[in-house]
Amino acid sequence: MTLLPDAVETYLNHLLRARARPLLLTFDANWQLVDLHGDTGHHGLDAEAPQALVQQLQDLFLGLPHDQPQDLPFVELAGGRHAHVHLVPDGDTFHLLLLDAGDEHGRTQAHQQLGNDAALAGIEKSRTLARLRQIKSELEQQRARLEEANALKNALFATLSHEFRTPLTSIFGYLHLLERDGASARDQALLALRRNASYLFALAENLLEYGRGEAGESLLDPGALDLAALVADLDAMFRPLAAEKGLALVVDAGAAPPAEALFDAVKLRQVAINLLSNALRYTPAGYVRAHLAWDGTRLVLEVRDTGLGIDAGSRAKVFKPFNRGAQHGSRGAGLGLSIVKRLVERMSGSIDLESELGQGSTFRVALPALAGAGMPQAAPAANRRSLGALIVDDDPDVAALLDVLLGDLGMRTRVASNVAAALAAVAAEMPDLVLVDVELPGISGNAAVYQLRSQGYKGRIVTVSANATESARAAALAAGADHYLTKPLDFAQFARVVQSAGAIS
Amino acid sequence: MSDIARKVCMLGDFGVGKTSLVARYVRNTFSEKYLTTVGVKVDSRVVALPGGVDLKLVIWDIAGKAALDSVNKNYLRGASGLILVADGTREASLRAALNLAMQARDVINEPACVLFVNKLDLVDRWEVAPAVLEEIRRSITVFETSALSGDGVEAGFDELARMLAP
Repeated sequence: MTLLPDAVETYLNHLLRARARPLLLTFDANWQLVDLHGDTGHHGLDAEAPQALVQQLQDLFLGLPHDQPQDLPFVELAGGRHAHVHLVPDGDTFHLLLLDAGDEHGRTQAHQQLGNDAALAGIEKSRTLARLRQIKSELEQQRARLEEANALKNALFATLSHEFRTPLTSIFGYLHLLERDGASARDQALLALRRNASYLFALAENLLEYGRGEAGESLLDPGALDLAALVADLDAMFRPLAAEKGLALVVDAGAAPPAEALFDAVKLRQVAINLLSNALRYTPAGYVRAHLAWDGTRLVLEVRDTGLGIDAGSRAKVFKPFNRGAQHGSRGAGLGLSIVKRLVERMSGSIDLESELGQGSTFRVALPALAGAGMPQAAPAANRRSLGALIVDDDPDVAALLDVLLGDLGMRTRVASNVAAALAAVAAEMPDLVLVDVELPGISGNAAVYQLRSQGYKGRIVTVSANATESARAAALAAGADHYLTKPLDFAQFARVVQSAGAIS
Repeated sequence: MSDIARKVCMLGDFGVGKTSLVARYVRNTFSEKYLTTVGVKVDSRVVALPGGVDLKLVIWDIAGKAALDSVNKNYLRGASGLILVADGTREASLRAALNLAMQARDVINEPACVLFVNKLDLVDRWEVAPAVLEEIRRSITVFETSALSGDGVEAGFDELARMLAP
């Protein structure tokens, strides 16, 4: 480049030096400072004790060759000062040239900050919009559920007014007959009264069970089962109705369950009553047969009829409340099968339906025996081993309580009071179940769950929290928990969840 | 002073918490305010390794970017180790960190590498699923970290120091 006029060169030299405030440090190959020029004060260098800056520069050029020019822009030095640092090789020595970058850094940073803040705000904005869309969709679902619940309630009232009135009319009618005709009408009237009273009783039981389902789950009440007595009772209850319709009715029992197998007799009876009542209602001719027997592992109740049958499209619907339309020409509250399903599931059993339109239906219920204390039985004894559980809770009282509860369920337990201890304990012992309190000191229990999962822990994780919101639950499950329980603990639910975890492990 | 020193670079998209992680590790401080880094800031901390060896980690906190430009590549020269940093609440930042690692291999030959997935204190808002990290762990050592609480930070830097031990 051609030289500029001397005056301009001099001006430019002064201008650039004044702006760049150059500081030149010359080192030998062993990083011994051999020469120093320039504005030491501006770059925070104490000329009498340059060691701190030298050390920093030495760190800066760690791993870089000293025999090639280097250019490191925007290096932050001690005291928050910024410089462009250049290495200039010069024979056996090398120079480090520091040029002030303070103003340029300030401008660049302000510009970059604006850009980054805008990008982060954009991310947050789209996230918020997604959350709003999610909330909107949840609200719509909730509204649909409320509308459905309202429709169910209306259907319930409409049905009940009819369902109660019909047997009551019959009861009043036969009472009138008894009063008028005395002994001559006695047998027929008693039969009719019994039939209608039974129907009202079943209806009341179903309504109670339906209400319980709305308010929360009912506990199981395991006890010994007298199969013969149950069969006799069902037979007595339904024989008059079958006789009246001209249907053959068989209620019989096969092998009885062993004495140690416990069942909830009231719920089982309710299931049988509903299925029989349903079968008799929808069978205009032919027979209804109920058979109860222990098949070696489960109690099986089979109710077969030669009734109207249910077409394939309606089979799934018959278990929903108020769907009596699924069976044509129906009469009844439409609650029976939905309650049967709920009760069977409550007893950890299963229900199957085989049916052909015009040929009849067969409902088959299989119920495992219940263990004590109202809990479904865990895995069969042969497969059961002592399961290990880790309790992660910082509250010693809560941890002790959980310890006792898990001990009662046959588990070996260990307690960790923070996330780090929990991670170490899981790595060392791989427990079958980890029970984590979300509200831990410092980092949350969800972080512990996340780390366990990302480290490959495949056991069951149950998260416990005082926060009952749906978002808290979703966060816990997203972090990797299998179950989310809220405090105060429902002990029956707790035991069920723990036992299901154990069965899966 | 330790005789052994190793240069390590913090690599990751902007706003993932690289500067905060270094501040937590070197000075045990944390600031809620986000201040973007321009250029580079070099810090160091001596790590006592098993066997009585001291190793000085010279930590380069480099301005965050989703891809390496020539300036950033220049900063990487001479590094022995990389700390890839992602923000668990931004899944894209995890992809960026892994991309940066690939690009860095053009400049550095077989660097020791650890991945910090930061902002563990905000785990309820994480977009990165645990199964994703479980998979990534097969190829790189992963630490879930929180510069705010300090969780995982010390362990992560110390692990890299062990990987860089002579």
